[in-house]
Amino acid sequence: MAAERTLQQIITQLKSNPSLPYSEASSLLSKAKLSLLQLNALTPTANAAPQLLLLARSIYEYGALASIRARNPDAFTRYLSQLQPFYELPSSQLKPDAEMRNKVTGLYLLLLLTKGRYAEFHSELESLGTREGIDGPDRIENDRFLGYPVKLERWLMEGSYDRVWKAMKKGEVPSEEYGVFSEILTSQIRSEIASSSERAYPSLPLSSTKSLLFLDSEGAVVEFARQRGWAVRDGTIYFPTAAEAGEEEEKDISQMVIENTLGYARELETIV
Amino acid sequence: MPGKTPNSNGRKPVENGVQKNSGKDGEKSSAAAKGKPVKKGSAKEGEDMTVVVPPSKNAKQSSQPPPADAEGDVNMEDSEKTEEELEVKVDPVTQTISDIKSNFALLDRAVALFDARFSLRALRSISSLRKRLNPDILAQVIAESYPPTSPSASVAKQLLSAIGRENVPLGRQSTGTEMEIDSEPKAKNGAKKDKETNKELIPEVDVFLAILVQVYMFDTKQFQQGANFSKYLSERIHSLNRRTLDSLSAKVYFYFSLFCEQLTPQAPSPQSPVVTLRPTLLAALRTAILRKDVDTQASVIVLLLRSYLLTSHISQADLLVSHTQFPENAANNQVARFLYYLGRIRAIQLRYTEAHEHLTAATRKAPASQCALGFSQTATKLLLVVELLMGDIPERATFRADNMEQALHPYFLLVQAVRVGNLEDFETTIAEHADTFRRDSTYSLVLRLRQNVIKTGIRMMSLSYSRISLRDICIRLHLGSEETAEYIVAKAIRDGVIEATLDRERGFMKSKEVGDVYATREPGEAFHDRIRACLALHDESVKAMRFPMNQHRLELKNAQEAREREREMAKEIQEGDLDEDDLGGDFDGM
Repeated sequence: MAAERTLQQIITQLKSNPSLPYSEASSLLSKAKLSLLQLNALTPTANAAPQLLLLARSIYEYGALASIRARNPDAFTRYLSQLQPFYELPSSQLKPDAEMRNKVTGLYLLLLLTKGRYAEFHSELESLGTREGIDGPDRIENDRFLGYPVKLERWLMEGSYDRVWKAMKKGEVPSEEYGVFSEILTSQIRSEIASSSERAYPSLPLSSTKSLLFLDSEGAVVEFARQRGWAVRDGTIYFPTAAEAGEEEEKDISQMVIENTLGYARELETIV
Repeated sequence: MPGKTPNSNGRKPVENGVQKNSGKDGEKSSAAAKGKPVKKGSAKEGEDMTVVVPPSKNAKQSSQPPPADAEGDVNMEDSEKTEEELEVKVDPVTQTISDIKSNFALLDRAVALFDARFSLRALRSISSLRKRLNPDILAQVIAESYPPTSPSASVAKQLLSAIGRENVPLGRQSTGTEMEIDSEPKAKNGAKKDKETNKELIPEVDVFLAILVQVYMFDTKQFQQGANFSKYLSERIHSLNRRTLDSLSAKVYFYFSLFCEQLTPQAPSPQSPVVTLRPTLLAALRTAILRKDVDTQASVIVLLLRSYLLTSHISQADLLVSHTQFPENAANNQVARFLYYLGRIRAIQLRYTEAHEHLTAATRKAPASQCALGFSQTATKLLLVVELLMGDIPERATFRADNMEQALHPYFLLVQAVRVGNLEDFETTIAEHADTFRRDSTYSLVLRLRQNVIKTGIRMMSLSYSRISLRDICIRLHLGSEETAEYIVAKAIRDGVIEATLDRERGFMKSKEVGDVYATREPGEAFHDRIRACLALHDESVKAMRFPMNQHRLELKNAQEAREREREMAKEIQEGDLDEDDLGGDFDGM
């Protein structure tokens, strides 16, 4: 039972000290995983003791959170897939801990969102609907951890970037781990806004661009404008006019028409 | 084992003499079967298709035999038995028994001629037999079909114990009452009867009877027993490697998975028997692929997809689709189901164009009969949502169809809200019909429509006003703030939803002049799409044509003869046997 006691210790250490540097946390975690291996509890077995399963699950959950804090998405996904069989266990064998589970799942959703893997995001979302203890997507939205990425996705899709921005401010983020993604999200929405502005405005004054892009100073705006290749004159940004080569398109059309017609001719020949 | 018929490899047709006889009998009995009032074809499709829709919907379907009726049947027949009035001219029991037996001949023929169509015909009759089944009838058929000394007696015993009639002795000489029942059909075609009992029973008949037992168990809601029996049956099928069993074994797996779905805990729970069934199905799929067993392949793939989607394992379902190839020449119903499930997966993955393609094909392939209504409705609902998500507005006629109107009503309201771009209507519709959407498992897809509503709203405004302030947009679309409106409009402009520019200082949106649609490539593209659809339809119809086996050899022979004749003629010309006049005359005539 020595191994079990070590596990307990490690969990209390991880729990009491969430801001542990990643190197220390990961050494603790690998020690924990070794003891799990000794107890033969790395994956749930049919006759494993409930408290052992509980310990294993907590280890993985803390591991997942630690790897998010260390900005290590690969490690996070690994922990998540290790957690999956534990979450599938019946509640009689392992008492579900909805809050922790939702926290981890919410982080995963956010990760998918920031990576632009929308298909997986929605697949995951779909499977949430059938999860025990959650009745329908209404409840998902009301959940502190799950609702956050879901709402962000919706706002990103419809273009309410100011709401996304507000949601990322301190106090709105459900937990510290979620804040890790704010940086990525900020640059993501900034480039989205920039590409929309290029098309929507003929020109913009520097001052209002600052608030539009959620930048801190006008200097930052000028810097950003240079990166995107915008012209800045007399405190106003002029976007490159969309005078794209229309002629080329014309050529494309005629080529397409020819291709299509040839295709029809070929098909007709096979029919007749 | 009945598999050890004279030709031990089980793949070849049974002996010739037997084959001829049974062939003739089959002709007779199938002709007789056709005369019956039940519309077999449509009924079968109905039974097939309706079970596809989620279990909760089944109650609505007309084709599911109402259990009360079945019960009534049983009671009636029981009372008849006690009163010993079995010699009545058209006795339902006798009728049913002879109906079941007429299928044996079909199966015999399927084996003899190696043509799956006959076994399909036998399977099709299940839906008409379904309502008339009861353990006594089944027991009698089994008892009469299996001689007590035959090697397959153990199989028969299994079947009997499954329906709780272990004590019925095998062989024709059973109880007195049953003799009496037997006497009537025997008088008609006694010679055939004798032959049937004397010869070995082919495994196809075993399995057919077993399927009847499965159907009976399903209709009487003995799900646990049914699952156990199916398990035994699927193992047995697995051990038999006969191509003529293919269509039958597909059916066996179908009912197996249906039983599992009905067992508690039901689907979404990870402990559901549906999940534990998956390894069996996957093994069956592997075997089916190795044996090139198209029927089982198609039906097992569909069952697996269904099972994955029931527990919302979308990524697994996607992996299954990408790692297997759905057989091209699968039965139409299976193709329709497969396309529906594929459409669902793609819709969830935001691949709307593909989803739209698959779902359109699924609704088109769905049988038009009344019995498959449930499937068409479910597929149409999903198709409508996907169309909306793609930014298209479904046609009004879809909602007007008699059999659809009621079921599609919530979706109709939804379409109206999206078409007008009214966010408020949209929200209320969702709130009101949330349960319906959730039952149809379209809820999460419907939620995604929000952005489409906003986009349409902006487009409507851009079309109606040449200049509109952001404040007005914000008020009309019920957006949180002007800033939000500004971002949303900017995004809409970038996505090409509207042609407009924004003026930040004065806070308004200015629409550009709408160009002439006919000057763009739009009409050409629409035209091209239609032509492509027509061509694809033509190709598919060509592929769907069926040709009698070996017919092409005859043609080849003819062609060869023609070629020989030509060669002879050429030779003759060379030798100068055919003089100029002969040929010249021909030309003159022309």
